[in-house]
Amino acid sequence: MKLTIGYLYGDLMNIYGDTGNIIALKKRCEWRGIEVVDKNISIATLLSKGDCDLFFFGGGQDQQQEVVAKDLVKSAKGKVITSEIERGVPLLSICGGYQLLGEYYKPHKGPKLPGVELFGAYTVAGDKRMIGNITTESMFGKLVGFENHSGKTYLKKGSTPLGMVIKGFGNNGEDKTEGCIYKNAIGCYMHGSLLPKNPRLADWLIKKALEVKYGKNIELKPLDDTFELQVHQSAIRRFG
Amino acid sequence: MRLLLAILVGKIIAQLIRFLKIGGGSAAPGLYALKIDPDLVEKLASRIPKHVIITGTNGKTTTSRILAHFAKMSGLKIIRNHTGSNLERGIASTLISSFQLPVSNFQLGIWELDEAAFNTVAPKLKPDIVVFLNVFRDQLDRYGEVDSVVKRWCNTLKMLNLQATVLVNGDDANCAKLTKCFKGKTLKFGVRDYKIVGESIQHQKEQENFDFEAKNVKLNGLKGSFFHLQSPSFLASRSEHLPVALPLPGIYHIYDALAAIACATQLFPDTLIHRYTDTLKNFKPAFGRVERLEFGSIFLIKNPAGATQVFETIAPNLKPNDRLLMALNDNLADGTDVSWIWDANFEVLLRHKKSSKSAGVKVKTPQGCTLIASGNRAYDLANRLKYAGFNPELINVQKDLSKALQEARDGLNGHLFILPTYTAMLELQGILTKSGIKKNYWEEV
Repeated sequence: MKLTIGYLYGDLMNIYGDTGNIIALKKRCEWRGIEVVDKNISIATLLSKGDCDLFFFGGGQDQQQEVVAKDLVKSAKGKVITSEIERGVPLLSICGGYQLLGEYYKPHKGPKLPGVELFGAYTVAGDKRMIGNITTESMFGKLVGFENHSGKTYLKKGSTPLGMVIKGFGNNGEDKTEGCIYKNAIGCYMHGSLLPKNPRLADWLIKKALEVKYGKNIELKPLDDTFELQVHQSAIRRFG
Repeated sequence: MRLLLAILVGKIIAQLIRFLKIGGGSAAPGLYALKIDPDLVEKLASRIPKHVIITGTNGKTTTSRILAHFAKMSGLKIIRNHTGSNLERGIASTLISSFQLPVSNFQLGIWELDEAAFNTVAPKLKPDIVVFLNVFRDQLDRYGEVDSVVKRWCNTLKMLNLQATVLVNGDDANCAKLTKCFKGKTLKFGVRDYKIVGESIQHQKEQENFDFEAKNVKLNGLKGSFFHLQSPSFLASRSEHLPVALPLPGIYHIYDALAAIACATQLFPDTLIHRYTDTLKNFKPAFGRVERLEFGSIFLIKNPAGATQVFETIAPNLKPNDRLLMALNDNLADGTDVSWIWDANFEVLLRHKKSSKSAGVKVKTPQGCTLIASGNRAYDLANRLKYAGFNPELINVQKDLSKALQEARDGLNGHLFILPTYTAMLELQGILTKSGIKKNYWEEV
C-alpha cells in the first residue's frame, strides 16, 4: 500500500512544530510497511483530484497567510480540496490552515479574507492571544496540544465541533468548543505537535486515507505506543 | 533621590539573595529597583561613555563574551550583563550591583538584549554600536512571529542616534534588510562557504561583498574552527586574509566571532585586528555554551535553529561509546510551548555523513549510542527522538536531572554530550557545583 500526503503550502504554513504532524504520519506508515511520500502543494503547484490521499494544512504568519488565502481562490486549489473532502479524503488543518478553510477571516482592519468554505465556521481577529496547553474531549478520546492564536473562530449552526475544551481556550475562549469536523476533515487550534502525542487521531487519518484510496475496510497493525501515551498522559496529568 | 533609593533597595535585595544562597541575583534587584525609579537604566547608563548592544535569537552571550575578551585586552574597564539575564531587569541589576555612586569608572557597557527587550531598553542605553546577529523562531509564545520582531526592530532603529553604527549579519535576510531602517553607518558581516541563512524565504541569491567576511572555513571537530577574515575597509589591503583560529566548534560561532571582531574594529580603530584575533586562543566560552567538563561537554539548546546547529556540530563527532543526555523544560524562560522540538532537526544526529575532513575514517552510526531524556518534558523529548529514528530501546527517560546525570555517568566509556534547555542548564550548573565539579556560574567572569 502507498499513501501520498499533500502538505498544503508547507513552505509558507508551518509554525509551532506543525511539521511534526507530517513526521508522525510518515513514521507511523513506515513502521507498518506502508509506503509514504509527502508533497508540498504550494503557490506554483497544480493540484488535481486524486493527487493526494491525505491533506495536512498548518498555521502561518499573517503575511504568509494572506498570500495563501489568495492563492487558494485564484488557483482553484480550494475547490479541488473541497471536492476531495466531499469524497472522503481525510484532512487535518491547524490554526491558520483551519481558519482559511472556514468561510472567512475578518482582520482588525480591512476587508474580510474569504475562505474555502469547507467548514461552517468563520474567524474574527481578537485582541487577546490565547496561549497555553489545551486538553479537549473528543470522539478520539482526550486530545492534548498547545494553542497560540488571537483569531476567534465561531461555528455556524449545524457544524460539529471536534471536541469540547476541558482546559484551555479552544475556538474562541467563550463557548468551550474546539475545532470542527466535517466528513473526514478536521480543523483545530492544537499545535504541540498534535499527532505525535495523539496517536489515535494519527491512525484514524491514515486508516481513512487508505480506506478511501483502496475502497475497502482497513485494520491498521497496532504499534508500540509507549512513549506516545506517556506524553499524552503526562500532559493530562499536568495540564488537566 | 529616587535613583539613590532605587539603587539602595536593589543592593539590599542582591545582598539578601546572596546571603540566602537562592541564586545569583541577576534579575530580582533590578525588578524592584525599576519599580522605584523607572528611569534607572537611562540615568546610570548615561554615566558610561560607550555602549554596545547585542541582540538576536542566538549567540548573544557568546558574542558579548568574545567582545569583552577583546576589550579587557585593550585595558578597558567594562560592565556587562554576563549571566544571560537579558531583560531590562537584568540590565538594571547589573548596573545596580556594579555602581559605586557618584562616580562611575566604567569605560564601556556591553549589553545583550533579547528580541523584545531591545525595543524598550536600546533607546535608554543610547548605544554607540548595535549588533543584529540573527532572527530565528524562538518562543513565539513570548516574542511573536519573526516578521513582527523585525518590524519592531526597524521602528526602534529609526529612533536611535545617527552617530551609532549598526552591524548586521548579511547572510540573514531579515537582519540585512534592517540596514534600510537606519540612516547612519551600517556594516555587514557574513560567512562565504557555509552560510546560515535564517528564516526569510525570499533570500537574495547573489553574492555580495561584506565588510567582514569569513572565508576558507575549516571545521576541526569539537576543538573549533579556522577561517580567513577578509575585510576590505579594515584590513590593510583589499586582498589581505587574516587567519583566525576560533576555539569554539560550529559554524554558528563563526558568526559570533565575526560580530565581535567587527565591533572591536569600531571601538578600537587604532589597534590592528590581529592584535585581538590572536587572543582568541585564550578565550573560554560562557557557562553552558559549549562548556567543557572532564567527562563531556554542555551545549545549550533553546530553539529549532540553535538546536539544529548544535546537532550538526556534534553529529560528526559522536562515537558509539558516547552518550547523549538531553533535558527539555517548559518553564517560562524556556518557552512554555515545546512544539519547537518538532521544528528542530534531530534527524541530523543520525546522519553519519562522511565528512571530507575525516576521509578514510569510517564514521559509525551513533544509533548504538545511549540516550537519556530528562527535564519536565522528558517524555516529549523521548518521543521526538523515537520519531527522529533512534531505537526506542536505547532511549531512557529520567525526569529528574540529577539522577539522569548520574545514570549518564555510570559506566561511561566515552564522551557525554549534555544538551539542556535554558532552565535545565541552570539546574545542571547547580548540580555540578554541588558535586564539586565546578563553581557557581555567577562567580564565573
